[in-house]
Amino acid sequence: MGRIAAVYDWLDERAAIRSLVRKGLYEAVPVRGAWFYTLGSATLVLILLQLVTGIFLTLLYVPSVTEAWASLNYLKQHDAFGSIVRGIHLWSAYILLFVIGLHMVRTFFSGSYKRPRELNWVTGVGLFVLVLGMAITGAFLPWDQAAYWTAVVVTNIPAYTPFIGSFIRALWRGGDFVGPITLSRTFGIHVWLIPAILFPLILAHLALLRKHGEFGSYINYRGAYRSREGVDVPPAPAERPIEPPYPAVPTDELWAAPLQTEDFFPFQTFKDGLVSVVLVIVVFALAVAIGAPLEAIADPSTTSYTPVPQWFFLPLDELLLLVPQQLIPLVLVLPTGGVLLLLALPFIDRSPERNPFERPAVMVPGAFAVLFVVILTLLGSGRLFNL
Amino acid sequence: MNALAVIWPALHRLASELPSSAPQGRNIIGAQIAIGSLFSIHILIAGLVSGAAELGPAIEFLGYMRQRRNYDRLAHGLGRFITLYFSVSSTIAILLITVLLVGFWGHFWTTIVTIAWWPLFIEAWTFVLQVSLAYLWYYTWDPLRGFKGVHMAIGGLLAIASFLQVYMIDVVASYMLTPTDPQNPIRLVLNPTSYPLTVHRTVGNLAYVGFVIGAFCAIRFLRARKPEDKVFYDWAGSFGLLWGISLTLLQPVVGYSYAKEIQLHAYSSWYKMMFGTLSPWFLWQITLLGIMFLTATLYFARRLRTNGARGAGLLKAMAVGLVLTTLLAAQPYHLGLTYDAVAGAGLNRPFWDGGLINPLGSMIPWKVLALMFYTLIAIAAVVWYLRGLPGVVWGAARRGEQRLLMLMAVLTILMMVTMGFIRENSRAPFLISGEMTIQGQQNVQPTVSPSPSGGG
Repeated sequence: MGRIAAVYDWLDERAAIRSLVRKGLYEAVPVRGAWFYTLGSATLVLILLQLVTGIFLTLLYVPSVTEAWASLNYLKQHDAFGSIVRGIHLWSAYILLFVIGLHMVRTFFSGSYKRPRELNWVTGVGLFVLVLGMAITGAFLPWDQAAYWTAVVVTNIPAYTPFIGSFIRALWRGGDFVGPITLSRTFGIHVWLIPAILFPLILAHLALLRKHGEFGSYINYRGAYRSREGVDVPPAPAERPIEPPYPAVPTDELWAAPLQTEDFFPFQTFKDGLVSVVLVIVVFALAVAIGAPLEAIADPSTTSYTPVPQWFFLPLDELLLLVPQQLIPLVLVLPTGGVLLLLALPFIDRSPERNPFERPAVMVPGAFAVLFVVILTLLGSGRLFNL
Repeated sequence: MNALAVIWPALHRLASELPSSAPQGRNIIGAQIAIGSLFSIHILIAGLVSGAAELGPAIEFLGYMRQRRNYDRLAHGLGRFITLYFSVSSTIAILLITVLLVGFWGHFWTTIVTIAWWPLFIEAWTFVLQVSLAYLWYYTWDPLRGFKGVHMAIGGLLAIASFLQVYMIDVVASYMLTPTDPQNPIRLVLNPTSYPLTVHRTVGNLAYVGFVIGAFCAIRFLRARKPEDKVFYDWAGSFGLLWGISLTLLQPVVGYSYAKEIQLHAYSSWYKMMFGTLSPWFLWQITLLGIMFLTATLYFARRLRTNGARGAGLLKAMAVGLVLTTLLAAQPYHLGLTYDAVAGAGLNRPFWDGGLINPLGSMIPWKVLALMFYTLIAIAAVVWYLRGLPGVVWGAARRGEQRLLMLMAVLTILMMVTMGFIRENSRAPFLISGEMTIQGQQNVQPTVSPSPSGGG
């Protein structure tokens, strides 16, 4: 123990480890509703799981149209461990999409995107889009029938962009048709381009979270602020060093610290850890029990194959199916506009009110958008059952 | 005794003149009118009861979260409505099944019960569950005031039971339009139109009850004398309309998806709706939807203007946009009853070339564009109204707004009847698409056994 302490002291003298650990572990976080605040760390854990399993897969996977399917088929047939790793990669991606979506919805409903956390929200939206990009590009890589036809549909979508659409499609495909260059470019996007933006953005997101602290939601502040008229004088928050200082100070209402706080370590870390462990166990169980499917090798000449979209692509797929060919560019404005609206949200909704039930002008359109996506997914899945 | 002596032979004579068996297939038009009109009444009441059983608990929950008594009062009112009208809806349903369906279309009824045994079995039990929970929810309102969580849980179960009930009957109704393998219950439940119809009806029922709340509160507002009642009914009318219109905004997408499935799996029905004898009704339906959005936007503009709240001017501009897009949606494509009639007469060319085709009325792209734009404008109108709501003083509404609320309910009822008419007639002459016609009902003919006493 003496030696370990000595090494620790040596490192602390040179790298200020002690203060870093203290800063990292002993931040005050809200008590009530803290299980809802575990979604962010769960997202991080799942992204790291993606990274680790992805590194394992690149050791064997060959991004070429002649070898990609064969390399994964080898895993499936001859390498039980590799097959499980691939299953973990797939199922953690699916669950990641779900969890990051829930994390966004939670942040939206609790109004945590408001001043001064606007940039945290903006980086979060960026992360969501990048994770979606990872999922879509990852779906091309097995180069089986499903992957090939997903590539055909997805790479065609940018073509509907006015003026530069055909150029983007050709750039992605490496020509007019989906082929070898499409696969190698998509592989490059999946393992280099997106992660190169994703990981710095995660760091920025975490740094901003540390700077402003976990806001929680309105339940952590109920009765803790003084209104304009001076009523509802808050009970004084417990005297304790809160670092960094709460709140999101609006001009006319004094927001105080959450009524009850606790240290990030061990209280919140326990909750975060428990949720993450449960998710990892679920991922592992699904990877072992179901695994990652691999259909027959891609055959562009087939006429009998009915392509089925990935589940996370169902809402857009349903929309594309419903809308006549001539109006598809107009429909593609919807997801683009949706992302832009999400980015602009903290700058549109600037009132200090955080209670979701008192913010109908934001909550109703937000709930409407969520319902719209859910209904499109339902309709799309209903169609899949009837194939 | 004398009276009985007169009545008895008269009854006896009447009985001898009645047909000995149900008039199966003898008067198809009469049967259709009887069943169609009674079904319409049943759907109008049952849709309201189901919608109230789903919306009521949601309003109670909202009231609990916002700590507002007016929500609780509204939810309680819906509970009262359910307990009063559940039996009316059920009585009509029983009359429909036991007298009209079994009597007129016995063969069909036996067949559909055989095919859809499990959905109907579940339907029966969810019916029991729904009625038990509805009464429990309403009558434990005060006793469980101290245990609001328990009471809301009962409401949640009631909403689930109501949804399941609607879903099961939708399975049967959708199967009749797009039948699948009757031997496979999973295929039956997941027939091509069961999903879109269920989503369409669930959203529709919730919206419908919102509009009816609006109209009911408008009437009560006009009759209210106490200021607190005026405040409540003014707020509740606006709330109902907001709820109704917000959900109706989902319907163009869901309805379009439903039509797409019909096109893929019941082409002749789809053709009849788009180009055939039902196309004028379909045109009326798409126009009606635009009128509904317009009416709601006018209400929003007027309600904000009454209190000088911000946003009324922009809402008026949105109303102009809705008029234009509704006019575009209302353009007929063929200026004859059916496209086939126009084509048969050799007039399927643009009207400026002497034909009877109006290209501006084509579904693609014009009607789809009109649908998209009037929906987007209506979404903007809802958001704008919500932004302006903090400036509204409840209780200060004027008569004009209340008339618009009442009009919305009338338009909704017209919409529901129109949709029901289109859906049921799109299958004609089939009761089960491609499998059983209205005319095939005489297969079951009871034999008349001679009376031992020789009749009389």
